[in-house]
Amino acid sequence: MSAVAVERLSKRFGHFAAVEDVSFEVPEGQVLAVLGPNGAGKTTTLEMLEGFLSPSSGLVRVLDADPRRGGRSWRGRVGLVLQSTSLDAELTVRETLELYSALYARPWPVDEVLELMDLSSDEQTRTGALSGGQRRRVDVAIGIVGRPEILFLDEPTTGLDPEARRRTWAGVERLIAHGTTVLLTTHYIDEADELADRVIVLAGGRIVTDTTPEGLRAQGGPSTIRYPLPPQVALEELPESLARHLDTERRTLVIQHPDVTACLGELVAWAASRRLDLTRLEVGRPSLEEAYLRAIGEPVIPQEHAA
Amino acid sequence: MSAVAQPTAITPMTNSARTTGSGISDRLPGIGGLLLAQIRYQARLLAGGRTLVIGIGLPVILLIASTNGHARATASSVAGRAVFGLTLTAWNTYGIRLVVAREAGVLKRWRATPLPRWAYFVGRIVATVVVSMLAGAATVLVAVVLYNTHLSVASALAVLLVFVLGAAAWAACATAVASVIPTVEAASPIMILIYFPVVIISGVIGSMSQPQWLSTLASYLPAEPLVHGVTTALRHTAGTPLLSIHDLVVLAVWTLVGLLIAVAVFRWEPHHPTQRRPARIR
Repeated sequence: MSAVAVERLSKRFGHFAAVEDVSFEVPEGQVLAVLGPNGAGKTTTLEMLEGFLSPSSGLVRVLDADPRRGGRSWRGRVGLVLQSTSLDAELTVRETLELYSALYARPWPVDEVLELMDLSSDEQTRTGALSGGQRRRVDVAIGIVGRPEILFLDEPTTGLDPEARRRTWAGVERLIAHGTTVLLTTHYIDEADELADRVIVLAGGRIVTDTTPEGLRAQGGPSTIRYPLPPQVALEELPESLARHLDTERRTLVIQHPDVTACLGELVAWAASRRLDLTRLEVGRPSLEEAYLRAIGEPVIPQEHAA
Repeated sequence: MSAVAQPTAITPMTNSARTTGSGISDRLPGIGGLLLAQIRYQARLLAGGRTLVIGIGLPVILLIASTNGHARATASSVAGRAVFGLTLTAWNTYGIRLVVAREAGVLKRWRATPLPRWAYFVGRIVATVVVSMLAGAATVLVAVVLYNTHLSVASALAVLLVFVLGAAAWAACATAVASVIPTVEAASPIMILIYFPVVIISGVIGSMSQPQWLSTLASYLPAEPLVHGVTTALRHTAGTPLLSIHDLVVLAVWTLVGLLIAVAVFRWEPHHPTQRRPARIR
């Protein structure tokens, strides 16, 4: 049985279709990232799965129930983390978690959740005095304290600094290791790459890609070899096979080709015959960024450094 | 400071209970306990420093100022100041906090938990009634200590009864009004704009001469019956009544009407979600 089943789901606000004809299933234990720019329909989709919004048309099943009719026991099996933090500033971290954990049939012990989300040293701090990253981890901790079978995370790390993001990810990863099904929205590709088994890209309310992070990367086009020519090389002396890839303006060879080995072999052989220094040679794997931009139909700006 | 602290030794948290279904009960905790915990939690949140200053400090200062150096305080001035603290708590502090909690997404988060919605709603109102009643009682106690205001057991119980009904009326109406206030910024001005005209014509801050029709109107609003009810209870002696039916009925009707409207218009979600509709459409 799938943890989530969505069939031909649409949501319209007046004439504006926020989500249009979206279908997907999430098997138990899968970690799905829904990726897309602002306004792509990520949160609207999530809110229909959480039971906050009614679909205009289509079918939504979460843990084999209609989220709009999910009763107490259904709510007890679903964990969620909203897009904005939602904490009472006056309570300490531990008090907050104890309050929420009392609502569930089989909560995780508060100590273990504190440990899991890397909050043990902050347990006596009032949530109002926490940093943004810590507060976000408390949000996630509340979301998981009831030992949910499925967890919805709406942009868990938006606005956090890199270290805070890593710590939030680490907590979510430990949770994933326990087999919880997770559906997260994000507009960070690296977040999807770090956490998810599967990526759905939404743009304009529709699914434009449904694949794995690796699959998405493959859509980004071939790998790129970059070699800025040393000053002593005259452009005319390049063999024709390499000259085709010359970016004259930057005096740089930019080779995009599926067969990296063959291209590199040719370049290295030529450089060896000319005794050229290859220190500045770069080989970049296709970036998720490029794949993502391609998927949502944005113009792809060639990257300066594809290291 | 180390970059990413690695938590040590996590006890394995298996999901075996879920899959086998044996051993651990899948029953959700009973409502009674949850409701009590919710009342305690809401009362604790409400009874902070600001509530103490506004609900007890301000009325006591006014009480001392209004006795003008005399050794006694009249029953009506004690009642008025106690009601001032009570209504400031049950109306202003509570109402504004409700808007803040809703706009911050706290209510939405609670709605997504297995706590029944009515339990959250009831917990919040009961906690407000308890804290507001205690604020009013504190002012009366200060009067008893400072001014030897006489307080029999019967009077004290009657005062508490009026306090409870009055706090319920104000909290119910505050819940209804808070639901239609769109932003945190608008909460304080709107609540105060409704509040002051009502309490000023009701003798809460001090008695003043006003036309008869205004006094009659005030006697049907939720402030004057509260002051009058407390005054009557404080003045009670062998020959005078302890409670006035008119006061109790007016407060009960406001409670009921306030609750009915509150239930009909109550909002769980912020008026301005951080990001629901796209700013621009591609």
